[in-house]
Amino acid sequence: MKIAIYDPPLCCSSGLCGPALDPVLVKMNDAVMALKKQGVEVERYNLAQQPKSFMDNKSIAELLHKNGKKILPITIVNSDVFRTGEYPSYEDLCKALGIEPREFRKPINLLGTR
Amino acid sequence: MTRYQFFSGKGGVGKTTMACATAIHNAMEGKKTLIVTTDPASNLADVFEQEIGHVITRIKGIENLWAMEIDPDEATREYKERIIGPFREIMPQDVIASLEENLSGPCTTEMASFDRFIDFMEGSEYDVIVFDTAPTGHTIRLLELPVDWSKHIEESAKGSGQTCLGPVQSIQDSKEKYDRATALLKDQTRTAFIFVMRPEELSLYETLRASKELETIGIKSGEIIINGILPEEVCDVSFFKKKFYAQQNVIRQSEKTIPQPKRYMFLRDNEVKGIDALKDIVRELFMGKKPSYVSELLLTGQFVPTIERPDIDALFLPGNQTKAIFFTGKGGVGKTSLSCITALYISQKGVKTLLVTTDPAAHIGEVLDVKVGSRPEKIADNLFAVMVNQQEAFQEYKEKVLGEARGRYSEEMLATMEEELNSPCTEEMAAFDKFIQYIEGKDYEVVVFDTAPTGHTLRLLDLPFDYAKQVEMMVSTADSSVIKETAQNRFRDIISTLRDRTRTVFSLVLYPESTPIMESYRAMLDLKEAGIETQLVLANMVLPEEVCTNNFFRNRRKMQVKYLEEIKIKFGLPVLQIPLMQEEIKGLNRLKAAVNIL
Repeated sequence: MKIAIYDPPLCCSSGLCGPALDPVLVKMNDAVMALKKQGVEVERYNLAQQPKSFMDNKSIAELLHKNGKKILPITIVNSDVFRTGEYPSYEDLCKALGIEPREFRKPINLLGTR
Repeated sequence: MTRYQFFSGKGGVGKTTMACATAIHNAMEGKKTLIVTTDPASNLADVFEQEIGHVITRIKGIENLWAMEIDPDEATREYKERIIGPFREIMPQDVIASLEENLSGPCTTEMASFDRFIDFMEGSEYDVIVFDTAPTGHTIRLLELPVDWSKHIEESAKGSGQTCLGPVQSIQDSKEKYDRATALLKDQTRTAFIFVMRPEELSLYETLRASKELETIGIKSGEIIINGILPEEVCDVSFFKKKFYAQQNVIRQSEKTIPQPKRYMFLRDNEVKGIDALKDIVRELFMGKKPSYVSELLLTGQFVPTIERPDIDALFLPGNQTKAIFFTGKGGVGKTSLSCITALYISQKGVKTLLVTTDPAAHIGEVLDVKVGSRPEKIADNLFAVMVNQQEAFQEYKEKVLGEARGRYSEEMLATMEEELNSPCTEEMAAFDKFIQYIEGKDYEVVVFDTAPTGHTLRLLDLPFDYAKQVEMMVSTADSSVIKETAQNRFRDIISTLRDRTRTVFSLVLYPESTPIMESYRAMLDLKEAGIETQLVLANMVLPEEVCTNNFFRNRRKMQVKYLEEIKIKFGLPVLQIPLMQEEIKGLNRLKAAVNIL
């Protein structure tokens, strides 16, 4: 089970070294931590800091070349493109991976009550 | 093997002149010598009286001598292109643009300059390389960078792979290079640090502090040059006699407190420019030959400048809103003293005033004779002082962010946050945040900022512009839009306050000599680019007419008047002349006496 997230250019992935907290990034980071605990291998690449990784992955490079930056973030689940232009939710990722979402992580994620 | 000599010391102490003389001395001994400057306001070309620029240039009139001025803008362009170049063909335009954007931060500029500077430490073409480095605070930051970088690179590669210092992958490629540079800087058999200071108490403090700071990162300073010593025979009036004794006192003190070997250098009656004048310095510096002081009166040039006194009350006193007053200029031009005097002057008019220092090597405490801490402290009626301490501000900022998150997120998430917050980026942001709170607050009618030397000041002031861009970069969703808007509005307010002439006054402090003028001019242009108009020039340390009774000081005053006229034309701003003071301002009583000069 493997997930790779290609982030848009950001100061840092958790959204924390910017001047204001971005709850979307915090939520994504939360999901990543939960998935890792469930044994999912998660990789994250930030265009601002690891542009080479975007070039090295052929499908990412092509998507970017065709659509420009607005295609980001791109989420890859088990080497297939799963979502583009926005971050998937923890539940969506669990479904795609075929695993059960962990219930006890509810209190972790108070911001994500949309 | 190549030997490296670094010149360190507060700006305006004569570092460039000493570095040039040292380079000439080495070249004259038959060693192939290169002198490199990393100072953005370099005046190597001025001193050698020939064009130099961003290329290695042969110095005319001296065998074996080459020079180069590292242009920080050019170095940054080259550095950025090296990273972005490979992506140009493959990536779309907007991706390239955002890579460029990401590399436009202050970190990149420092890194690029440092990168160039290491390049010189790799070759073996020269016997001696002399570095005329930028002022102390900046120099130390530059030197500390490789240490922090290596740590930072390792950590970020292990963790999330994030760093604020530009593409981590590109840094990774250079890691070995940085490690080699650090090792070389610490190798005393190959690298020497020479501190240049003036025989003044503040300069001595600064030198001691700077050499200790270097020692904490494993670098020992080699020797000290005490420059600008008044020759006894020209100090015939009591004004200069007192100055002479005060200087001698500091020299004795430095002999006691600084164990390193020292060289001594007398003041000249004119600027040191051109090979002949430099050779005269070499003779004194390396052969102990005292110059002759039978000065002839220079026949050309005027003795009194044609400058009108500006209306400082209109500039310094507040309207209905809090007014911010900034002092900017090269280190050692008297920013601290002048900001203290100004703050006291304003407070004596019954206006509640706060004096803020952002100088990492805060002198305010020394001028006020009070330990200034990170909470505003009452100094006199209506006068308060505070220091923005980067480390403390960082801790506070971190606590603030984590405090807001506590209870909302898991411990695990908090740990990740804390890790991510430990970046140099956050540190800068924290200091800025603190600094700006004093402008935003309504507790004081006037806030006087004793800002750090020009480059650092501009970096701090540039931040709101960068932040506004960064906030725009946030992924747009319903969740983040409120936060985004709040942050954006705050930065927009800060920017408009800084640009409003009635609410913010930028003043340049300099003394009437070529290096400070050049650096201040550059600062004025940089500010202009950010939409900020400078409103006043304070020309400090002008020799009072009545004490210039002999040819030596008459010549020096003529040199100053020539520059005062140049300032008037070049800047096109009101110029306030501040006379050279009899004594250094230390303690509130002397400060109170000094207010009269305004």
